[in-house]
Amino acid sequence: MRQLIRGMQPGAGKMARDLRADAFRGIALWFILIDHIPGNRLGGLTLRNVALSDATEAFVLLAGYAAGLAYGATLDRHGWAFAAAALLRRLGTLYVAHIFLFVVFTAQVGYSAAALESSAYLDEMHLDVFGEQPYLALLQALLLRFQPAFLDILPLYIVLMLMLVPALPLLRWPWLLMGLSVAGYVVVRLFGLNLPNWVDGGWFFNPLAWQVLFFTGCLLGYTPWREGRRGPAPAVPFHPALIGAAILALLLGLVIVLIGDYGEQWLAELPQPLAELLTTIDKTGLHPFRLISVLALAYLVGHAVPRDANWLRSRLAAPFVLMGQHGLPVFCVGIFLAFLGRLALEMDDRWPMQVAVNLAGLAALISIGIIGAWYRLRERGESAHSATNPAAVGLRAPAASSTTAR
Amino acid sequence: MTLGAGRVLLLLGLLLAPPAATAGGMACDAPPELLAANAALPATARAASTGSLRILIVGSASVLGPGTSGPSAAWPVRLEALIRARAPHLKLDMVTRGARGLTTAETGAIIAAELARSPFNLVLWQAGTAEAVRGLDLDEMVEELHAGLAKVVAAGADAVLMDHQFSRFIRANANVDAYRDALRLTAAAHGVPVLRRWDLMQAWAEDDIVDVERASRQERVAATDKLNDCLAQAMQALIRDGVAEARGRPGQR
Repeated sequence: MRQLIRGMQPGAGKMARDLRADAFRGIALWFILIDHIPGNRLGGLTLRNVALSDATEAFVLLAGYAAGLAYGATLDRHGWAFAAAALLRRLGTLYVAHIFLFVVFTAQVGYSAAALESSAYLDEMHLDVFGEQPYLALLQALLLRFQPAFLDILPLYIVLMLMLVPALPLLRWPWLLMGLSVAGYVVVRLFGLNLPNWVDGGWFFNPLAWQVLFFTGCLLGYTPWREGRRGPAPAVPFHPALIGAAILALLLGLVIVLIGDYGEQWLAELPQPLAELLTTIDKTGLHPFRLISVLALAYLVGHAVPRDANWLRSRLAAPFVLMGQHGLPVFCVGIFLAFLGRLALEMDDRWPMQVAVNLAGLAALISIGIIGAWYRLRERGESAHSATNPAAVGLRAPAASSTTAR
Repeated sequence: MTLGAGRVLLLLGLLLAPPAATAGGMACDAPPELLAANAALPATARAASTGSLRILIVGSASVLGPGTSGPSAAWPVRLEALIRARAPHLKLDMVTRGARGLTTAETGAIIAAELARSPFNLVLWQAGTAEAVRGLDLDEMVEELHAGLAKVVAAGADAVLMDHQFSRFIRANANVDAYRDALRLTAAAHGVPVLRRWDLMQAWAEDDIVDVERASRQERVAATDKLNDCLAQAMQALIRDGVAEARGRPGQR
């Protein structure tokens, strides 16, 4: 399995692919699958149980990182028009994937409503909007204004990528891009702006707010060409005070999460404004606490795990690295598998089924990663060995992740 | 000597036995922790001491008992009967308002209107279902709950929230956990008890006590009746726990 991984051997002196981003994206994709199956006991062990941020934040940050890396390089080598066209092509794929998953969702609702014969009991449920107004529902889905539960990350991703098209040249002026992005985030949060949803309200994940995390990732991933080769990836330097602040932020987040999960009666003991603040840490608008949580986590992990850490090249990490390197198909299949998992747990949620759903789900995700890597190698007519040859790497376009390019 | 030891044992037994066990399967054998109010209901306790209690029940369809054998089987009506049976001399006045698909904003407006019309001691507010199944704004639901609970407190009444019905179908097709968590935390921020209907119904389903979703078509009405009765018992237990808490807890649950 490991010979399928791109950038397995660190190239001598050259900037090798950062396997950390791949490995953590793979883990985030696995967590997203788990968290998208309500009733899944494994859901008690994912990031959201110990931190204010969860796999969604990690996914968006790493998606930004991969986009900055791949499209930033395309921008430097081929200019904005070509990079924009490549981005739009990727957007088309994402859009079609979303519409496919929407059709699957509709079929699932119809199937499970029939299987449970529960029309009387579900009388007050308006879940079946598709049955009530099929033409309108279809139109709203195509406009991304109708997002059923659990189908809200891809529309977010699509809009974020769309925002990147005009913002690409700004990658060369990181402080300007960061300033615009943060200003946008603050304005959106202050005025409660959001993209409109079909049912009154906004998107579950507000792209106008989440862009701040995505562009942060883009800037961390972008490595400008200098004298014909890529420079070092930008990183927030090690500083004891920052490390301390990050640890403090994560500890406070842990306390807030634990109070929410196990000690909610303590909320009544707190001053009312503080208690209300703790109940309004919203995911929709990426509450600042959640943003701080994911950035602190990324900073600590970035410094705790060196680029050349041995475990990244271990047998155990290989499946997750492969999943991360083929993020888009793995993500889409994961959302699809979550449908099947939900149906399975709807029928039987005792532990044999729990084990079966989780094992099958992870195995399927890993297979997608393996197939994607194998196909890519065959398509390029390269042996796994030459792909890791530093000279070959230097000639090709910078190793792009399938989450973003190609 | 032996008599003394027997007495000690008896006393020990009384002390150690959990309340639910002494009641012989309270509220359809619900897990006792789900019947704990974890908060006091002082206005209810005062009203009960003066011998007159007014309860307002507001929610969406489920307060009307859909799928039961008739209106008298709905949980609010069953709750009224249970309280009357337990406290025959109490002057009890119960008002139930609800309709299909009402949002938290709409039920909140009903509560405000009813409180303006006449005083109540206790408001039972079933909320969040419409938001979860239709994917409405989570933040808006939280804001409406904060505003509504503040109004109830300002009117000098206690509040108890009731969360979503457990359903595998809803769990598979709606992001219900996010709404349940938000409702639970909002209630906790106001020190308001929550009747955790989702957890109760899940426990009853797992223990084969009542499972409407898995009941065959012929059994469904009977199962829905039983569910409403169990919910009424659980609500009664929770209210008694909150009243005991308000009285400094020498009283029984």
